[in-house]
Amino acid sequence: MFWPTFWTGFPIKLAFGLLLLAAHMHPWEGEGLFLLLLLSIPIDIWALGLCARTVFIDRLKVDPQPGIGANLWLRWAVFSAMALPLIKIIVSGATEMAKSVTTNMVHAIKESIYPTLPVAEQITLELVMWGSVATGVLILCLLAWLYGLGWLTQPFVKNAKSLEGTEEERASFWDGLRIPADQPLLLTAFTGAGVVLVFVFWALLPSTTPHPHEEYEFISKGPKEEKVEPKKVLKEAEKVLAKAELVVKKLEEEKSGESKDSKDQKGQEPAAKEMQPEKKK
Amino acid sequence: MQQDSQPGNQPNPFEKIVEFVDERVGLKTIQAKMLNEPIPGGSRWAYAFGSVLLFIFILQVVTGILLMFYYVPSTDHAYDSTQYIIHEVDYGWFLLSYHFWGSSAMVVMVFAHMSQVFLWGAYKKPRELIWLVGLALFGIVMGFGFTGYLLPWDQRAYWATVVGVEIMDKTPIVGDFMARFLKGGPTPGQMTLSRFFVIHVMVLPAALAGLAGLHIFLFRKAGPAGPFRGTPEELKAKTDYFFPRQIWKDIVAMATVFLIICSLAFIEPVVLLQQATPDPGDYHPEPEWYFLFLFQLLRLKMFGGELGQFLGAIAIPGAFMAFLAALPFIDTNPERNLFKRPVALIGWIVIMVFILVFTLSAIINREFLH
Repeated sequence: MFWPTFWTGFPIKLAFGLLLLAAHMHPWEGEGLFLLLLLSIPIDIWALGLCARTVFIDRLKVDPQPGIGANLWLRWAVFSAMALPLIKIIVSGATEMAKSVTTNMVHAIKESIYPTLPVAEQITLELVMWGSVATGVLILCLLAWLYGLGWLTQPFVKNAKSLEGTEEERASFWDGLRIPADQPLLLTAFTGAGVVLVFVFWALLPSTTPHPHEEYEFISKGPKEEKVEPKKVLKEAEKVLAKAELVVKKLEEEKSGESKDSKDQKGQEPAAKEMQPEKKK
Repeated sequence: MQQDSQPGNQPNPFEKIVEFVDERVGLKTIQAKMLNEPIPGGSRWAYAFGSVLLFIFILQVVTGILLMFYYVPSTDHAYDSTQYIIHEVDYGWFLLSYHFWGSSAMVVMVFAHMSQVFLWGAYKKPRELIWLVGLALFGIVMGFGFTGYLLPWDQRAYWATVVGVEIMDKTPIVGDFMARFLKGGPTPGQMTLSRFFVIHVMVLPAALAGLAGLHIFLFRKAGPAGPFRGTPEELKAKTDYFFPRQIWKDIVAMATVFLIICSLAFIEPVVLLQQATPDPGDYHPEPEWYFLFLFQLLRLKMFGGELGQFLGAIAIPGAFMAFLAALPFIDTNPERNLFKRPVALIGWIVIMVFILVFTLSAIINREFLH
């Protein structure tokens, strides 16, 4: 039951995961992970209900009580919340121990039997040695976990209603359960949801690469357009004009001063010229 | 979807078009033949791999054409044009990353599809030809990966190709010719890039399209093999038709694979190394991930020297492929139940573990290189 349930919910969660990625969130950490887990709850409940009923009818020839999805999911979730961290600790511990033993064994082999053991052979030998131990422990732990999930499912089997009929009648029964009552409506809803998701995805997707090459020089996209603020421009223009006026005034003053001096000089020159010939004489 | 016209009413425009085409082409007969194929034992997710492969290939063609609008296959401009696609073209980084991860997805799906066919005994009589054409398609997919890898013309692309061509050179009799043909001369350069580009965008797509068509035709002729367990009554009770059940499963599988490729394109977009130079410098050449196991195998001391390299790179893989081609003619036992074929099951597990162990070893070996 776990296998089809996982794959039933996986594409839907994947679509949400992709939307989170497009929105610059990582679905495997932080708020992205929290959102994804939150969305996964109703998806998993629905998938588990559907797959559980199918397996019950097809393989066990019984029809379960309504609401099996939510009830079973809750039991599985509580059990897995305890079992999976424990499995991680066991497998991590076994792997570390296996790696340590393997390193010592290979070291001993290199010292006593084969001092020139090449690197490639050493890596392969170590990997096979600790890898087989770690894989074996992992498989055993997963089997124990799945056995636990099966044990939790047994009461639901006992409370289920027995189904009579031939193989063909049972196949038609569970097959008929999966066909929606209004197929065009469901098809339209799926298509509409798909179209909306596509639009959201393209709206969120960044048009430039999030990992630019460190040495790449971006081609200039043209001069920057500066926003014009009219009041500011007018004030600056007034300042410029005021300065220009001052300069012009000063220049005029200088010019008028020069022309006055030159007039005085012109008056003094004939007297100076008259004096000069008297000196010559 | 066809809309049924009510009795006494004129057919709508869509129905008129369908009638027009059907009269001249036999559209309804083709449609019935394509969609109403019975699948004994019911539709299965395991049957979706082939359709997913076709879907990935179509998207590779689409993204490849879009990339070709900007890519320039010359040694002077290949790197710059690829960088331009990544940095300047709107969504170019996503297109290129999708194309890159799509190629890896094709290899994974090919392995999955071949494994499913092998484990279900669907290569046995009367499906030998389908198996043989499938092996040729596998070779073409590997060829796509090999030729496409060179096109960005960065250090990784260049030196991975050099290593690959040198391995090919070790093939007796034809190896030297094949290596010189691919390189277009004594050393890799512009000729190499041009040839790889033409092979990647013209020769291989045409070959794949033709062989895929033949593959599907042969499959339809022989019919689906169906599950290897179940009584005839059970199989008959669960018979589905290609439309809508298998098509629905195929669409969901395609959508899932598509979303996975998009996610990978996001998480690990393509980032080029330095432009290719004749000197590798500090860069340690490595092939693409699906050839890493072979690369690591060749590092073992037993495959050292000329003979060892020939054995590890050419003889053993070649013998394995020849064995796969001869498999339908060697294994003539009609039994298809996997659990009654222990040699097949154990052999498959051994091969998969071998590939996994040596691929992981190659990844661990990188630390020793630095």
